[in-house]
Amino acid sequence: MSLYLVTILTNMTLISFIAISAYLILIVGEVSFGQQAFFGIGAYMTATSTALLGLDIVIALFFAFMVSSSFALVLSFLTVRLSGLYFAVASLSFAELLRLSLYKVEYTVETNSGTIGPNGPEGFQNIRWIFENNISPENFLVIALSSLLTLIILLIFMENSKLFKNARLVGKDQIVAQSIGIGPFFYRIGFITLAGGVAGFGGGLFALFNTYVEPSMFGIMLGVHGLAYSIIGGLGYPLGPLIGVFIDIGLLESVRFLSEYRMILFGGLVAAILIIFPEGIISPRLVSRIKRKLVKKNNA
Amino acid sequence: MEYIQISIDGILYGSSYSLIALGFSLVFGVMRRINLAYGSSLLLGVAIALWVENKLNISIIFFIPIVLFFCSLSNLYVERFCFAPHNTKAGVVVSMISSFAIWMQLDEISSQLLPDRTHSFPSLEISTFEFGGLFFRGDQILNIVIAFIIAAILFLAVYKTKYGIVLRAVSNSADTAKLMGCNTNLVNSLTFIVAGVIGGIAAFLVLSTESQVTPLFGFWCTLKGLVAMMIGGLGSLTGAFWGGLLLGLLEAHLSYQFGPISREITTFSILLIFLIIRPGGLMGVNIYKDLKSRDERI
Repeated sequence: MSLYLVTILTNMTLISFIAISAYLILIVGEVSFGQQAFFGIGAYMTATSTALLGLDIVIALFFAFMVSSSFALVLSFLTVRLSGLYFAVASLSFAELLRLSLYKVEYTVETNSGTIGPNGPEGFQNIRWIFENNISPENFLVIALSSLLTLIILLIFMENSKLFKNARLVGKDQIVAQSIGIGPFFYRIGFITLAGGVAGFGGGLFALFNTYVEPSMFGIMLGVHGLAYSIIGGLGYPLGPLIGVFIDIGLLESVRFLSEYRMILFGGLVAAILIIFPEGIISPRLVSRIKRKLVKKNNA
Repeated sequence: MEYIQISIDGILYGSSYSLIALGFSLVFGVMRRINLAYGSSLLLGVAIALWVENKLNISIIFFIPIVLFFCSLSNLYVERFCFAPHNTKAGVVVSMISSFAIWMQLDEISSQLLPDRTHSFPSLEISTFEFGGLFFRGDQILNIVIAFIIAAILFLAVYKTKYGIVLRAVSNSADTAKLMGCNTNLVNSLTFIVAGVIGGIAAFLVLSTESQVTPLFGFWCTLKGLVAMMIGGLGSLTGAFWGGLLLGLLEAHLSYQFGPISREITTFSILLIFLIIRPGGLMGVNIYKDLKSRDERI
């Protein structure tokens, strides 16, 4: 495989984590414009634990998951009274506050391979985990892809669990959910927290792959993309967000003559897809129709 | 004395927030939808107008109507593309996300039209004057006067004219208005055009005060307008107006205390605090106590 293809595939894998985290929040019926901040927190956390503290990558990614999900927990508690548009704007402002505070974080250490540590607007440089462990781009792709696949398989298995079914009901109609004894409080907090953790995990991988991160990488446009992927992919099945990622990065960015106009095309494409498929390509309705057909076939 | 000067500067600066928030609030009031591409469509209007000006070399008197025309045109594009197809009840969130996606499209087109990072913008060149030891910037005074005039016109139009009655009818219940023979589609389009004109005026005033355009202007507009509107109370025209002034005032004082870098942080903190403590905004009712009166308000 050429290096170009490997890089594109790795980028697709990494941004899928944001798309999936946006998907998890959409399941409970909220729209979050702030997943990019948790991605950023995860990236900074992993960078700190591998480059500054010299921890193992598994522990570092675990830390990234825990810290970003605890930030998401804070957000979910702060916005417990809000929903819909109010929640979307609150998550946006929370994310921007987190990102702007990264500009103020300065803690640098001089080593013989250069300055490491978060350094305000210049970001966190020299995350040398890939070089120290001699990980080739192909190997890194395997690591990232296998964690993404694990996550998706986990989500597919959870799809039929009571937890996910209740969460979907909460997202679809809160009053109906409450009337049959499913309190939205627990599901909302749980899913927002989980989504933050997933984004943070992806951010951790992103920091390792990119070898340096800075606060301006985690701006609102990253969040727009992540959200758009899961919206056009649809909420029916965990593979939905990946369709969005594939359309944007796989088709538009990798084709050279299109990549200059990628944002223009993609923005219009999202709006057009939403006109044709208001619930996304793999909508819950489509999934239940397919399931019904499968059941009929088995019975016949 | 120093504090009075800062307060005056803040309020004067806040008047441009008020204007943008009025445009935002008009759209929200009529359609119960939020147009996140508002700032970007203003940026696009300004970018096309500048491009035309560069090609034709026109004077500032003709430049203003061109800005207004293209701002309302790009706003109409957003309405036709993101809002008109999603006019059912389920379309509230979809249209918000659709406008969110169009945001990046419009921003990208604008930055293709304005290839440099900063672009000069024709300035009005009104001098600063002094009054009782306090300094007033002439163009900002013009800004606040125009903001007051537009708020007054909008208020009269909404509450005293036939168009206003139709507008409030559509806002109250689009289905009922349709049954009574209102062309709700036309009303929505007109609302977006009016919001585009108001936004165009705001964009022109802000940019001529700064005498430059950057591609970040779109984000800036959306953000400040949104924050001002949410502080004031969603969908309330008076709320949007006072919210803008309050935001300007708070920003001026806090950035004086903590340095200019914290200006952005201040904006977001104010928004978050308001959303947590009083989601309905200053003028709004408590959104959870009284759902009906929230829907009836414009």
